[in-house]
Amino acid sequence: MTSPTVIYAFAVCRRCDPAALAGLPGLDAAAPVRTLAAGPLTAVVQDVPAADFAEDALRQRLTDREELERCARAHHEVIMAASAVTPTVPLPFATLYLGDARVRAALREKEESFLAALGRLTGRVEWAVKVYTAPAPLDSPSPSPTPSPARSPGAASALSPGTPPGTAPGTPAGSGRAYLERVRGRRQLRERRQNAALQAAERVDAVVRGLAVAARRLRPHGVEVTGAHRTHVLNAAYLVDSVRADELRATLEALRREETDVQIELSGPWAPYSFADGGVPR
Amino acid sequence: MSDGRLDLDADSVGRDLVALVLTVLELLRQLMERQALRRIDAGGLSEEQVERIGTTLMLLDQRMAELCAQHGLRPEDLNLDLGPLGTLLPRD
Repeated sequence: MTSPTVIYAFAVCRRCDPAALAGLPGLDAAAPVRTLAAGPLTAVVQDVPAADFAEDALRQRLTDREELERCARAHHEVIMAASAVTPTVPLPFATLYLGDARVRAALREKEESFLAALGRLTGRVEWAVKVYTAPAPLDSPSPSPTPSPARSPGAASALSPGTPPGTAPGTPAGSGRAYLERVRGRRQLRERRQNAALQAAERVDAVVRGLAVAARRLRPHGVEVTGAHRTHVLNAAYLVDSVRADELRATLEALRREETDVQIELSGPWAPYSFADGGVPR
Repeated sequence: MSDGRLDLDADSVGRDLVALVLTVLELLRQLMERQALRRIDAGGLSEEQVERIGTTLMLLDQRMAELCAQHGLRPEDLNLDLGPLGTLLPRD
Protein backbone atom coordinates (compact mmCIF):
# COMPACT_ATOMS: atom_id res chain seq x y z
CA MET A 1 0.00 0.00 0.00
CA THR A 2 1.44 3.33 -1.00
CA SER A 3 0.56 6.64 0.55
CA PRO A 4 -0.73 9.35 -1.80
CA THR A 5 1.87 11.52 -3.46
CA VAL A 6 2.03 14.95 -5.08
CA ILE A 7 4.49 16.25 -7.65
CA TYR A 8 7.25 18.60 -6.63
CA ALA A 9 8.46 20.53 -9.69
CA PHE A 10 12.03 21.87 -9.67
CA ALA A 11 12.65 23.29 -13.09
CA VAL A 12 11.62 23.45 -16.72
CA CYS A 13 13.89 22.88 -19.68
CA ARG A 14 13.57 21.84 -23.31
CA ARG A 15 15.12 18.39 -23.13
CA CYS A 16 16.87 17.06 -20.12
CA ASP A 17 18.91 13.86 -20.11
CA PRO A 18 17.51 11.86 -17.17
CA ALA A 19 21.02 10.53 -16.55
CA ALA A 20 21.99 14.00 -15.29
CA LEU A 21 19.48 13.59 -12.48
CA ALA A 22 20.35 10.01 -11.53
CA GLY A 23 21.18 9.55 -7.88
CA LEU A 24 19.96 12.93 -6.71
CA PRO A 25 18.02 12.60 -3.46
CA GLY A 26 15.77 15.59 -4.15
CA LEU A 27 13.23 16.45 -1.46
CA ASP A 28 12.35 12.91 -0.48
CA ALA A 29 14.70 10.09 -1.38
CA ALA A 30 11.90 7.53 -1.55
CA ALA A 31 11.23 8.38 -5.19
CA PRO A 32 13.75 9.35 -7.89
CA VAL A 33 14.01 12.78 -9.46
CA ARG A 34 12.62 12.29 -12.96
CA THR A 35 11.68 14.15 -16.11
CA LEU A 36 8.20 14.71 -17.46
CA ALA A 37 7.79 15.86 -21.06
CA ALA A 38 4.94 17.91 -22.51
CA GLY A 39 5.27 19.25 -26.04
CA PRO A 40 8.60 21.01 -26.50
CA LEU A 41 9.15 21.31 -22.76
CA THR A 42 10.33 19.00 -20.02
CA ALA A 43 9.73 19.45 -16.31
CA VAL A 44 12.11 18.08 -13.70
CA VAL A 45 9.92 16.62 -10.98
CA GLN A 46 9.77 14.24 -8.06
CA ASP A 47 6.93 12.37 -6.36
CA VAL A 48 6.76 13.38 -2.71
CA PRO A 49 4.38 12.23 0.04
CA ALA A 50 1.24 14.35 -0.03
CA ALA A 51 1.02 14.37 3.76
CA ASP A 52 4.47 15.99 4.13
CA PHE A 53 3.76 18.63 1.52
CA ALA A 54 0.25 19.70 2.40
CA GLU A 55 0.18 23.44 2.90
CA ASP A 56 0.06 23.38 6.69
CA ALA A 57 2.55 20.56 7.08
CA LEU A 58 4.97 22.27 4.74
CA ARG A 59 4.68 25.63 6.43
CA GLN A 60 5.21 23.98 9.78
CA ARG A 61 8.30 22.13 8.56
CA LEU A 62 9.84 25.18 6.95
CA THR A 63 9.74 27.18 10.17
CA ASP A 64 12.51 24.85 11.29
CA ARG A 65 15.67 26.40 9.94
CA GLU A 66 17.55 23.16 9.53
CA GLU A 67 14.69 21.60 7.61
CA LEU A 68 14.35 24.74 5.50
CA GLU A 69 18.04 24.62 4.70
CA ARG A 70 17.89 20.94 3.80
CA CYS A 71 14.92 21.51 1.46
CA ALA A 72 16.42 24.62 -0.12
CA ARG A 73 19.70 22.83 -0.74
CA ALA A 74 17.94 19.81 -2.23
CA HIS A 75 15.94 22.14 -4.50
CA HIS A 76 19.10 23.97 -5.53
CA GLU A 77 21.05 20.76 -6.12
CA VAL A 78 18.51 19.43 -8.61
CA ILE A 79 18.36 22.75 -10.46
CA MET A 80 22.16 22.91 -10.66
CA ALA A 81 22.31 19.36 -12.00
CA ALA A 82 19.77 20.14 -14.71
CA SER A 83 21.28 23.48 -15.66
CA ALA A 84 24.70 21.84 -15.96
CA VAL A 85 23.44 19.89 -18.99
CA THR A 86 20.80 22.16 -20.53
CA PRO A 87 19.35 25.69 -20.25
CA THR A 88 16.97 25.56 -17.33
CA VAL A 89 14.26 27.77 -15.88
CA PRO A 90 14.27 27.26 -12.09
CA LEU A 91 10.79 27.11 -10.59
CA PRO A 92 10.03 28.79 -7.27
CA PHE A 93 10.82 26.78 -4.16
CA ALA A 94 7.94 24.45 -3.21
CA THR A 95 6.13 24.42 -6.56
CA LEU A 96 3.67 21.51 -6.21
CA TYR A 97 1.18 19.83 -8.50
CA LEU A 98 -1.45 17.22 -7.77
CA GLY A 99 -0.34 14.87 -10.54
CA ASP A 100 1.51 14.45 -13.83
CA ALA A 101 -1.49 15.64 -15.83
CA ARG A 102 -1.52 18.92 -13.91
CA VAL A 103 2.18 19.46 -14.60
CA ARG A 104 1.66 18.84 -18.31
CA ALA A 105 -1.30 21.22 -18.36
CA ALA A 106 0.78 23.91 -16.65
CA LEU A 107 3.62 23.44 -19.13
CA ARG A 108 1.25 23.69 -22.07
CA GLU A 109 -0.52 26.71 -20.66
CA LYS A 110 2.69 28.65 -20.12
CA GLU A 111 4.59 27.12 -23.02
CA GLU A 112 5.23 30.43 -24.72
CA SER A 113 6.59 32.22 -21.69
CA PHE A 114 8.75 29.21 -20.71
CA LEU A 115 10.19 29.05 -24.23
CA ALA A 116 10.83 32.79 -24.17
CA ALA A 117 12.53 32.49 -20.79
CA LEU A 118 14.64 29.56 -22.02
CA GLY A 119 15.66 31.58 -25.05
CA ARG A 120 16.68 34.45 -22.85
CA LEU A 121 18.59 32.27 -20.38
CA THR A 122 20.44 30.09 -22.86
CA GLY A 123 24.17 30.64 -22.57
CA ARG A 124 23.73 32.95 -19.61
CA VAL A 125 24.15 32.60 -15.89
CA GLU A 126 23.22 34.64 -12.87
CA TRP A 127 25.77 36.40 -10.70
CA ALA A 128 25.01 38.05 -7.42
CA VAL A 129 26.71 41.21 -6.22
CA LYS A 130 26.34 42.32 -2.64
CA VAL A 131 27.71 45.58 -1.30
CA TYR A 132 28.09 46.27 2.41
CA THR A 133 29.25 49.26 4.37
CA ALA A 134 32.76 48.66 5.63
CA PRO A 135 32.71 47.82 9.34
CA ALA A 136 32.80 50.93 11.50
CA PRO A 137 36.22 51.68 12.95
CA LEU A 138 36.36 50.14 16.42
CA ASP A 139 37.48 53.34 18.05
CA SER A 140 35.65 56.14 16.26
CA PRO A 141 37.77 59.23 15.94
CA SER A 142 36.62 62.28 17.84
CA PRO A 143 33.36 62.96 16.06
CA SER A 144 33.43 66.67 16.72
CA PRO A 145 35.01 68.22 13.64
CA THR A 146 36.11 71.42 15.34
CA PRO A 147 36.34 70.86 19.07
CA SER A 148 36.74 74.07 20.96
CA PRO A 149 40.13 73.77 22.64
CA ALA A 150 38.96 75.30 25.90
CA ARG A 151 36.30 72.63 26.30
CA SER A 152 38.10 69.55 25.12
CA PRO A 153 39.53 68.39 28.45
CA GLY A 154 36.12 68.45 30.09
CA ALA A 155 34.62 66.70 27.12
CA ALA A 156 37.08 63.86 27.31
CA SER A 157 36.41 63.03 30.94
CA ALA A 158 32.68 63.50 30.59
CA LEU A 159 32.45 60.62 28.13
CA SER A 160 33.92 57.99 30.40
CA PRO A 161 31.03 55.75 31.32
CA GLY A 162 32.33 55.26 34.85
CA THR A 163 31.44 58.78 35.90
CA PRO A 164 28.81 58.36 38.59
CA PRO A 165 25.54 60.19 38.23
CA GLY A 166 24.96 63.18 40.38
CA THR A 167 28.19 64.84 39.34
CA ALA A 168 26.24 67.52 37.54
CA PRO A 169 27.35 70.36 39.77
CA GLY A 170 30.99 69.32 39.35
CA THR A 171 30.96 68.94 35.57
CA PRO A 172 33.18 71.50 33.91
CA ALA A 173 31.57 74.50 32.31
CA GLY A 174 30.84 73.93 28.63
CA SER A 175 30.74 70.15 28.84
CA GLY A 176 27.01 70.07 28.11
CA ARG A 177 27.46 71.90 24.84
CA ALA A 178 30.52 69.85 24.02
CA TYR A 179 28.47 66.68 24.54
CA LEU A 180 25.81 67.91 22.13
CA GLU A 181 28.49 68.74 19.57
CA ARG A 182 29.87 65.22 19.90
CA VAL A 183 26.39 63.81 19.34
CA ARG A 184 26.02 65.98 16.28
CA GLY A 185 29.44 64.98 14.98
CA ARG A 186 28.69 61.29 15.43
CA ARG A 187 25.44 61.65 13.53
CA GLN A 188 27.06 63.56 10.70
CA LEU A 189 29.82 60.99 10.47
CA ARG A 190 27.29 58.17 10.29
CA GLU A 191 25.27 59.95 7.63
CA ARG A 192 28.39 60.68 5.59
CA ARG A 193 29.47 57.06 5.79
CA GLN A 194 26.03 55.80 4.80
CA ASN A 195 25.75 58.22 1.89
CA ALA A 196 29.22 57.29 0.69
CA ALA A 197 28.29 53.60 0.83
CA LEU A 198 25.00 54.14 -1.02
CA GLN A 199 26.73 56.13 -3.73
CA ALA A 200 29.43 53.49 -4.05
CA ALA A 201 26.68 50.86 -4.38
CA GLU A 202 25.09 52.82 -7.23
CA ARG A 203 28.44 53.06 -9.02
CA VAL A 204 29.03 49.33 -8.62
CA ASP A 205 25.54 48.59 -9.93
CA ALA A 206 26.02 50.86 -12.93
CA VAL A 207 29.32 49.22 -13.88
CA VAL A 208 28.10 45.64 -13.52
CA ARG A 209 24.88 46.45 -15.42
CA GLY A 210 27.10 47.39 -18.32
CA LEU A 211 28.26 43.76 -18.54
CA ALA A 212 24.85 42.19 -17.98
CA VAL A 213 21.91 41.53 -20.28
CA ALA A 214 19.48 41.98 -17.39
CA ALA A 215 19.68 43.14 -13.81
CA ARG A 216 17.47 42.99 -10.76
CA ARG A 217 17.74 44.78 -7.46
CA LEU A 218 16.61 42.63 -4.55
CA ARG A 219 15.81 43.71 -1.05
CA PRO A 220 18.97 44.07 1.04
CA HIS A 221 19.32 41.65 3.93
CA GLY A 222 18.65 42.70 7.51
CA VAL A 223 20.96 42.51 10.49
CA GLU A 224 20.09 38.89 11.08
CA VAL A 225 21.92 37.89 7.93
CA THR A 226 24.64 40.53 7.67
CA GLY A 227 25.66 40.63 11.31
CA ALA A 228 25.47 43.79 13.37
CA HIS A 229 28.79 45.21 12.24
CA ARG A 230 27.81 46.10 8.68
CA THR A 231 24.85 47.25 6.62
CA HIS A 232 23.79 45.71 3.38
CA VAL A 233 23.41 48.49 0.80
CA LEU A 234 23.18 46.63 -2.51
CA ASN A 235 21.69 43.21 -3.21
CA ALA A 236 21.59 42.76 -6.95
CA ALA A 237 21.42 39.91 -9.44
CA TYR A 238 22.76 40.11 -12.97
CA LEU A 239 22.15 37.88 -15.94
CA VAL A 240 25.47 37.64 -17.75
CA ASP A 241 26.62 35.79 -20.84
CA SER A 242 28.58 32.75 -19.66
CA VAL A 243 31.57 33.72 -21.78
CA ARG A 244 31.96 37.01 -19.91
CA ALA A 245 32.68 35.41 -16.53
CA ASP A 246 36.37 36.35 -16.54
CA GLU A 247 35.59 39.88 -17.61
CA LEU A 248 33.08 40.14 -14.77
CA ARG A 249 35.57 38.87 -12.19
CA ALA A 250 38.20 41.33 -13.39
CA THR A 251 35.71 44.18 -13.27
CA LEU A 252 34.80 43.29 -9.69
CA GLU A 253 38.48 43.21 -8.75
CA ALA A 254 38.91 46.70 -10.18
CA LEU A 255 35.79 47.92 -8.36
CA ARG A 256 37.10 46.54 -5.06
CA ARG A 257 40.29 48.53 -5.51
CA GLU A 258 38.40 51.73 -6.36
CA GLU A 259 35.59 51.58 -3.83
CA THR A 260 37.36 51.44 -0.54
CA ASP A 261 34.37 52.64 1.48
CA VAL A 262 32.47 49.40 0.95
CA GLN A 263 32.88 45.64 0.89
CA ILE A 264 31.89 44.07 -2.41
CA GLU A 265 31.00 40.39 -2.70
CA LEU A 266 30.52 38.49 -5.93
CA SER A 267 28.93 35.06 -5.99
CA GLY A 268 28.01 32.75 -8.81
CA PRO A 269 27.52 31.45 -11.33
CA TRP A 270 24.02 30.59 -10.20
CA ALA A 271 21.09 29.07 -12.01
CA PRO A 272 19.09 32.13 -13.14
CA TYR A 273 16.73 32.17 -10.15
CA SER A 274 16.13 35.91 -10.36
CA PHE A 275 15.37 35.89 -14.07
CA ALA A 276 13.10 32.89 -14.34
CA ASP A 277 9.80 34.75 -14.55
CA GLY A 278 8.27 35.89 -17.84
CA GLY A 279 9.13 39.56 -17.84
CA VAL A 280 12.58 40.99 -17.38
CA PRO A 281 12.27 44.14 -15.35
CA ARG A 282 14.75 46.58 -16.80
CA MET B 1 16.44 38.36 21.58
CA SER B 2 19.49 38.60 19.38
CA ASP B 3 19.14 35.21 17.72
CA GLY B 4 15.50 35.73 16.85
CA ARG B 5 14.17 33.19 19.30
CA LEU B 6 12.83 33.44 22.78
CA ASP B 7 13.83 30.75 25.23
CA LEU B 8 11.17 30.46 27.85
CA ASP B 9 13.27 30.14 30.94
CA ALA B 10 12.88 32.74 33.65
CA ASP B 11 16.37 34.22 33.38
CA SER B 12 16.39 34.83 29.68
CA VAL B 13 12.82 36.12 29.66
CA GLY B 14 13.77 38.62 32.36
CA ARG B 15 16.85 39.65 30.45
CA ASP B 16 14.95 40.01 27.18
CA LEU B 17 12.37 42.15 28.92
CA VAL B 18 15.07 44.37 30.38
CA ALA B 19 16.66 44.67 26.95
CA LEU B 20 13.31 45.64 25.44
CA VAL B 21 12.58 48.25 28.10
CA LEU B 22 16.07 49.71 27.79
CA THR B 23 15.71 49.76 24.00
CA VAL B 24 12.58 51.87 24.32
CA LEU B 25 14.33 54.19 26.78
CA GLU B 26 17.30 54.49 24.46
CA LEU B 27 14.99 55.35 21.56
CA LEU B 28 13.41 58.13 23.62
CA ARG B 29 16.81 59.38 24.72
CA GLN B 30 18.07 59.55 21.15
CA LEU B 31 14.90 61.32 20.07
CA MET B 32 15.46 63.89 22.80
CA GLU B 33 19.01 64.41 21.59
CA ARG B 34 17.79 64.99 18.06
CA GLN B 35 15.14 67.37 19.25
CA ALA B 36 17.76 69.25 21.28
CA LEU B 37 20.01 69.62 18.24
CA ARG B 38 17.06 70.84 16.20
CA ARG B 39 16.18 73.41 18.83
CA ILE B 40 19.76 74.63 18.95
CA ASP B 41 19.91 74.88 15.17
CA ALA B 42 16.66 76.82 15.16
CA GLY B 43 18.28 79.33 17.49
CA GLY B 44 16.61 81.13 20.36
CA LEU B 45 18.22 79.14 23.17
CA SER B 46 20.58 80.92 25.50
CA GLU B 47 24.07 79.57 26.05
CA GLU B 48 23.02 78.60 29.56
CA GLN B 49 19.98 76.67 28.32
CA VAL B 50 22.07 74.81 25.77
CA GLU B 51 24.56 73.92 28.45
CA ARG B 52 21.84 72.64 30.76
CA ILE B 53 20.16 70.54 28.08
CA GLY B 54 23.51 69.13 27.02
CA THR B 55 24.53 68.23 30.55
CA THR B 56 21.17 66.55 31.22
CA LEU B 57 21.41 64.48 28.05
CA MET B 58 24.99 63.56 28.82
CA LEU B 59 24.03 62.32 32.28
CA LEU B 60 21.16 60.34 30.76
CA ASP B 61 23.66 58.77 28.37
CA GLN B 62 25.92 57.80 31.26
CA ARG B 63 22.98 56.42 33.20
CA MET B 64 21.98 54.30 30.20
CA ALA B 65 25.52 52.96 29.94
CA GLU B 66 25.44 52.02 33.62
CA LEU B 67 22.08 50.31 33.33
CA CYS B 68 23.34 48.33 30.36
CA ALA B 69 26.46 47.32 32.25
CA GLN B 70 24.41 46.24 35.28
CA HIS B 71 22.31 43.95 33.13
CA GLY B 72 25.20 42.62 31.09
CA LEU B 73 24.01 44.24 27.89
CA ARG B 74 26.13 45.92 25.26
CA PRO B 75 24.89 49.13 23.63
CA GLU B 76 24.40 47.25 20.34
CA ASP B 77 22.06 44.81 22.10
CA LEU B 78 19.59 47.66 22.49
CA ASN B 79 18.02 47.48 19.09
CA LEU B 80 15.22 45.81 17.22
CA ASP B 81 15.45 44.40 13.74
CA LEU B 82 12.39 45.65 11.91
CA GLY B 83 13.04 43.56 8.82
CA PRO B 84 12.54 45.56 5.64
CA LEU B 85 12.36 48.77 7.65
CA GLY B 86 15.87 48.28 8.98
CA THR B 87 16.63 48.67 12.65
CA LEU B 88 14.78 50.74 15.23
CA LEU B 89 17.91 52.64 16.26
CA PRO B 90 20.56 53.78 13.78
CA ARG B 91 23.62 51.57 13.71
CA ASP B 92 27.14 52.86 13.25
